[in-house]
Amino acid sequence: MVAAARTSAPIANRQAVAALKARFAQQNWIFAGVLFALLALVPLLPVVEGWMATQAALVIIYILAAQGVSVLTGHTGLVTVGHGGFLAIGAYTSALMSHYLGADLLSGMICGGLMAALIGCLLGLIFLRLAGAFMAIGTLGFAFFIGTIVNNVPIFNGRTGFSLPPNNLFGVIDIGDFGFYYVCLVTLALMTLFMYSLVRSGVGRAFKALRDAEKAAQSSGVNRLFYRTLAFTISAFITGVAGALNGHIVSFVSAEVYADIWYSVDILVAAIVGGSAMLFGPFIGGVFIVMVPFFFEELADFSFILKGIVLIGVLMLAPAGVADVAARPFRAMRQRALAQAGGATAREHGRTGGSPGGAE
Amino acid sequence: MLGQQIMSGLATGSLYALTAVAVVVVFRNTRTINLAQGDFSMMGAFIAIILLKTYGLNYYATIVLCVLAIMALGVLTERLVMRPIADSDWLTLFTATLGVYYILHGVAGWIWGRDTKAFPVTFDPTPVHIFGTVVSHGHLINMGWAAAIGVVLYVFFKYTKQGIAMRAVTDDPETAKLMGIPVRFIVTLTWAMAGFLAAFIGILIAPIIYVAPEMMDEVLIKGYVAAVFGGLYSIPGAIIGALMIGVAENLAGGYLGSHYKTATAFAMIVVLLTFRPQGLFGIQKRREI
Repeated sequence: MVAAARTSAPIANRQAVAALKARFAQQNWIFAGVLFALLALVPLLPVVEGWMATQAALVIIYILAAQGVSVLTGHTGLVTVGHGGFLAIGAYTSALMSHYLGADLLSGMICGGLMAALIGCLLGLIFLRLAGAFMAIGTLGFAFFIGTIVNNVPIFNGRTGFSLPPNNLFGVIDIGDFGFYYVCLVTLALMTLFMYSLVRSGVGRAFKALRDAEKAAQSSGVNRLFYRTLAFTISAFITGVAGALNGHIVSFVSAEVYADIWYSVDILVAAIVGGSAMLFGPFIGGVFIVMVPFFFEELADFSFILKGIVLIGVLMLAPAGVADVAARPFRAMRQRALAQAGGATAREHGRTGGSPGGAE
Repeated sequence: MLGQQIMSGLATGSLYALTAVAVVVVFRNTRTINLAQGDFSMMGAFIAIILLKTYGLNYYATIVLCVLAIMALGVLTERLVMRPIADSDWLTLFTATLGVYYILHGVAGWIWGRDTKAFPVTFDPTPVHIFGTVVSHGHLINMGWAAAIGVVLYVFFKYTKQGIAMRAVTDDPETAKLMGIPVRFIVTLTWAMAGFLAAFIGILIAPIIYVAPEMMDEVLIKGYVAAVFGGLYSIPGAIIGALMIGVAENLAGGYLGSHYKTATAFAMIVVLLTFRPQGLFGIQKRREI
């Protein structure tokens, strides 16, 4: 593409296109910056109570978990129905550490993520030859397997579970609801930054190449074994960190919730409703999947029905996710601007225009 | 002891087999991994409870009505949810069945509540001596039903016009369409068949486990694993896979401890997919998914 641009476009055009793209990138950063600044400032308002911060923290946990899914499902094209398993691994690792060793939140998160990453790496190797529907079934089996383990192996205490001490961090004994919210928010900011750079790096391009044209990618030197396993590892790590937070938010873990299929399903739905190939997708999906049951607190069953209907509606109207539809006008605007600036060459570059929040 | 374990394994396996067949039939005609398959069965079990308890219907009449109701549910799912997105990629189709899964869970929980219920027809544990092993009467009845349904399916696919048309759509939907086979009707029929099988599974399995919205989750995953044995494509492969899973988990449960039961299916799928990702009886062609 670069070679084509060199031969066919005047230099002034190329510079104009580059400047425009830099401005778009800047806009993405400003959008993300404003979003996170708002999220950081709102809890300082006096009307915000502790339970609201906890609810917001729960949304963030789901966003993180859905980001983990999106690495595999959206960016690498490997559908996973088993991320509830990684969530459980993260939650139990961190919970056991804090229950028995009195470890603090940060080390729990890191170890929970690393443990999930380790098992994710192994699972990636085991499922190396799987694709498509077979991968979905395999990962679903994995989630059930983890569920059986936490339900039956004595150290995990089965359905009785065990409770955790107050969340301590950096020597503070109990960081409270707001402290926990900020921990989640900082984690989300870091993970989003990580995702942003991942998607734009060579690794992200290798993932995308494997997703769009596996054989072609392999013949152009993309190491399938390495990148697939890496995608599994990264994805499991992010969801594992979310799992660690998920255990600490209620200071309780038990097989009652983690042995179920619901976490796996909910996380996948969050990623898909939001748009799993978009950076901003998990944000929308996470809000959706947590806030629907929240509003129907007394009518839990009705929230299931509503989730199902919305999911099917989204699939019919916006199969690439809500974020994709939301980004469409911005993308079109940017493409037009690029076309004007770059003349004929812009058509090739138009796709990299991006969207608010740095989507794809 | 060993023969005993194998016999009751085959009995459970025969119910997994029905699930697996339903999964395979839907997948190979519509590219859809039907996550709602288990919930069709769950709805069937709940409807059976109502018919038996509230209306005091006899067992066989209940089965007939239940099968009809769940077939209607299958057709409704196809018409309302799957048909509008029939041309999408398999992930969209799969996720749509996930939406159906949510809805049916919600509906069942809304109407009948989340607590587990006992099925009015109890499982008959009377021991019956057969082939030198002891097997309970209830298991034997279930195996009989499963075998009868197997024969019905065999006759349907082999001799009836609709069955042959269904196989033609499986093999090559484009050509089938060109040959004048009403592919849309066949797809509807496929979902009706999924409902037909689901209703039987629900009624047969309810006395063994319990009736609740999430009763079928574990059975379904084993049905999937069994379906993978047949490469998601071969019905005999799926049946053999299901029987193998039933026997293997019973042996694991008997010799290693009952909590290894569920893990067995996962262990089997890992071994299978590591060495033969296309399934034990899978066919290498048609792997466009």
